[in-house]
Amino acid sequence: MRKMTAISEEIFSAIPLPTWRWLGVNEAKVPAGVNIKEAMRQEIVVAAGQQRTLSRQERAGASELHIRLEPGADFALEQAVLLTAGQSSATRLKVTVSDGAKFSYTGAYVGGAEAAAAVEVELLGKESRADVWALYLGDDRNKIDLNYIIRQQGRRTEANMQVRGALLTGAEKIFRGTLDFLQGTKGSVGRENEEVLLLSEDVRNRSVPLMLSHEDEVDGHHAVSVGQMDEEKLFYLQSRGLSPEEARRLMVTAVLQPVMDRFSEEVREKVMSELEGRLSHE
Amino acid sequence: MEQPKKKTYVEDIERALYDIKDIDRSRYKSKSGLTEEIIRDISRRKHDPQWMLDFRLKSLEVYHSLALPAWGPDISELNMDEIVTYVQPDAKLSGDWQEVPEDIKDTFDRLGIPEAEQKSLGGVGAQYDSEVVYHSIQEDLTRQGVIYTDMETALREQEELVKEYFMTLVPPKDHKFAALHGAVWSGGSFVYVPEGVQVDIPLQSYFRLNAAGAGQFEHTLIIVEKGASLHFIEGCSAPRHNVTNLHAGCVELFVKEGARLRYSTIENWSRNMMNLNTKRALVEKDGLIEWVSGSFGSHISCLYPCSVLHGENARCEFTGVTFASRGQNLDTGASVIHAAPHTSANINTRTISKAGGAATYRSAVKVTKNAPYAKCSVNCESLMLDDESRSDTLPVMDIQGAEANIGHEAKIGRISDEAIFYLMSRGIDENEARAMIVRGFVEPIAKELPLEYAVEMNNLVNLELEGTMG
Amino acid sequence: MDLTNDEHRLKESIMAKLLEVKNLHAGVEDKEILKGVSLTLGKGEVHVILGPNGSGKSTLMNVLLGHPKYRVTEGSLDFEGENLLEKPVYERARAGLFLSFQSPEEIPGITLENMIRTAKQAVTGEKVKLLPFRKELKAAMEKLKMSPEYARRYLNVGFSGGEKKRAEILQLLMLAPKLALLDETDSGLDVDAVQIVSEGVAGFRKENPDSSVLIITHNARILEKLKVDRVHVLMEGKVAEEGGPELISQVNDHGFAHLLEAEG
Repeated sequence: MRKMTAISEEIFSAIPLPTWRWLGVNEAKVPAGVNIKEAMRQEIVVAAGQQRTLSRQERAGASELHIRLEPGADFALEQAVLLTAGQSSATRLKVTVSDGAKFSYTGAYVGGAEAAAAVEVELLGKESRADVWALYLGDDRNKIDLNYIIRQQGRRTEANMQVRGALLTGAEKIFRGTLDFLQGTKGSVGRENEEVLLLSEDVRNRSVPLMLSHEDEVDGHHAVSVGQMDEEKLFYLQSRGLSPEEARRLMVTAVLQPVMDRFSEEVREKVMSELEGRLSHE
Repeated sequence: MEQPKKKTYVEDIERALYDIKDIDRSRYKSKSGLTEEIIRDISRRKHDPQWMLDFRLKSLEVYHSLALPAWGPDISELNMDEIVTYVQPDAKLSGDWQEVPEDIKDTFDRLGIPEAEQKSLGGVGAQYDSEVVYHSIQEDLTRQGVIYTDMETALREQEELVKEYFMTLVPPKDHKFAALHGAVWSGGSFVYVPEGVQVDIPLQSYFRLNAAGAGQFEHTLIIVEKGASLHFIEGCSAPRHNVTNLHAGCVELFVKEGARLRYSTIENWSRNMMNLNTKRALVEKDGLIEWVSGSFGSHISCLYPCSVLHGENARCEFTGVTFASRGQNLDTGASVIHAAPHTSANINTRTISKAGGAATYRSAVKVTKNAPYAKCSVNCESLMLDDESRSDTLPVMDIQGAEANIGHEAKIGRISDEAIFYLMSRGIDENEARAMIVRGFVEPIAKELPLEYAVEMNNLVNLELEGTMG
Repeated sequence: MDLTNDEHRLKESIMAKLLEVKNLHAGVEDKEILKGVSLTLGKGEVHVILGPNGSGKSTLMNVLLGHPKYRVTEGSLDFEGENLLEKPVYERARAGLFLSFQSPEEIPGITLENMIRTAKQAVTGEKVKLLPFRKELKAAMEKLKMSPEYARRYLNVGFSGGEKKRAEILQLLMLAPKLALLDETDSGLDVDAVQIVSEGVAGFRKENPDSSVLIITHNARILEKLKVDRVHVLMEGKVAEEGGPELISQVNDHGFAHLLEAEG
């Protein structure tokens, strides 16, 4: 029943189950000027029982990361895609997680012309876990195109996908987030949540939260909320003396904060200053 | 309050009765593939005006130019070269609305529907007792200018209205099956409610049983003028007697300024039906479209009623339940296009899958640049009764502009053991406890249905649950 | 204390036995929680179970009702001389057991009224006529100071703690079981809940003098309006102490530790 979409060369990633063409969300194209064949590839194996962290800052161009977590391994990856005007990037992440291992991810996408990202996590082992968080700030007519998939295969796996973002001036964003419960993944739990703040008339937000299941003994939940800043809260902050701009900035960072908190101090500062700069421009 | 005399539709759900009644009707051979000649033939038999023939031929062209959709359930078992064999029974039915074939009457005997009720089977369209009730109401409404008739009659008697609206909302180029529909459509209902008229008692349509096979490309066209209101019930509750493989109907609903339309359906097609139905509503300023949709039957269904919220403050309420069992792939959902300021929509669905059935919830919520302050909230819950089955949720939200408020929530899971234990601790046996929970799960939908349909839905649920539990 | 025990034995021999638990061992997966519990309850009696956290009180209630999560490995469970262990949950309920849950399930789509009517039909084995049932339900709800609109609300969905408790007691009154098991482990903290349970159970006793009550609570206020016949103290999966109502104040004043010491 499940169709596989043939991946042509200009397609960077696709959702597992295509839907209406007119919505244009089935696949992400490779950003112009990026050659994925020349992607910087890195392979990481985290040995059984080991604990590792990795911090990466991605620049323009393509990069690919393959990660294998052996039983009981614990790997925390943070990845900041901070691009300057006109730059584009395509980042791909493929992760397999064995018995009792835990993959933890925190990503940020800010700036540039176009950022495409694919994150694919396979929870193969029993009691394997994936905790995937990301934030994005779209502005200055840039394009953010994300495709996150967590496949749950082992028994009693746990998937958590939390995404927060804000869109300013002409930004266009697609977030596809898939939780896929395969047959046999008994006792598994999957959670997905995306919160989007729309801050300008000319933005376009597309959210595609897929939840696929071939197993009854699961507990899956996803939610998306798209909206504006709460006027009451803005008013409250202003009544305490903040200017409307300050209040707005504070509210945007408040939405992104849960993701921000997960970054190491060094990356957090970088992302933060990038955000502050863009929000005060606005 | 006086209740209109209703008979239950419960008997209908004994699908097995229908299954053994499957008679192979003879049809004359024709060239495979859908040709201009065939279309001209259909058109001639139906005494179409010239513009309708032209429309059909143009649709045929579009049909040949379009590919099958590349998403959704696999419909490759539908041999498009033999599409003509599905169309063919059409040719036989022209004008033959008065006669109920012997075998259909026979079926009703077997279903135990009382003599008195059978007498009305010869009536126009619906073969049910309730039709007589509605017919008498219709006379009352006729005086107020309400038109309720079959599409062929409408084409003769209300040609200008039909010409103005027909397939403008679902144009043939929409998709291959819309084009097919444009080329070969036959039968269906036409309703016109003039400005300010409130139709308090639902209108129901049961055309399809009248001439076996006729309903497979039926067209429903409803126009509710300014400030008027209507509840229309599409009677797909009776399983089709003469089994055909393809149903490509089309429903076009025009809800004018301040008008309200409720469109309720329970589809319970036989299990070898490909149900590729297109339903769409255009809602003007302050108008309201309410969809209540239950999908139980068919082998494969693709059904996503679409609401185009075209005028300011236009609203959509969608309530749907889908129950997919063995051999079924039911791909259902809804789409909403917010095209004006302050439009709002609520989508609330439940899906159940069991015994290897596949249920998909597919939706699209689009907010255009012209629709500031659009609001939409989607809630879908899926219940899986075993691990052979599939349950997928594929919602898409596409939002332009900064003033939209869109929320989507979906859950997937099974019946909780604790809830079962709780009910059993009150003396309810396990099968009944499960059935209660499943009925409770679809209750928010059932309560939106007319009573007899809710009863029928409960019976369908019970029927589906029998034998799988325990 | 020995005297009361003797008295009790005497009484037991006169009064008809309702429930007899003998050397009950039960647990979850590989973990044994009840390690040989024995207790006897006569018709029309009120018994209280006390015990520290984790002593197996709630487990005992669940095992009495046959929760599938727990496995009974040894011992017997007789209700009116019949072996309960062989019966599925709903048969036990039909035999006359009722458990008021510590945290009752929320079940969307099933109204409270529908739930109680269905259960009453199941328990009594008779068709329950709608109109008399509604009248009875209304009266019972009035007694519990429940607004009638709750009858049409989905079972426990969006109910506060106190409302859930009321809904449980309402079911108790409507189903009139032979044995009411009340798991009030946590309600000691909630003034509202205490009131509801205390009045509700008193009302139940009044209307069903032959029915018995087995209640987990150490809250003296819950028991104020009840004449407690017997107290069982559960510790580490066993009945560590038994006695009359005076045990309650002893435990409340001195805790459980001294009982353990007394046990040696």
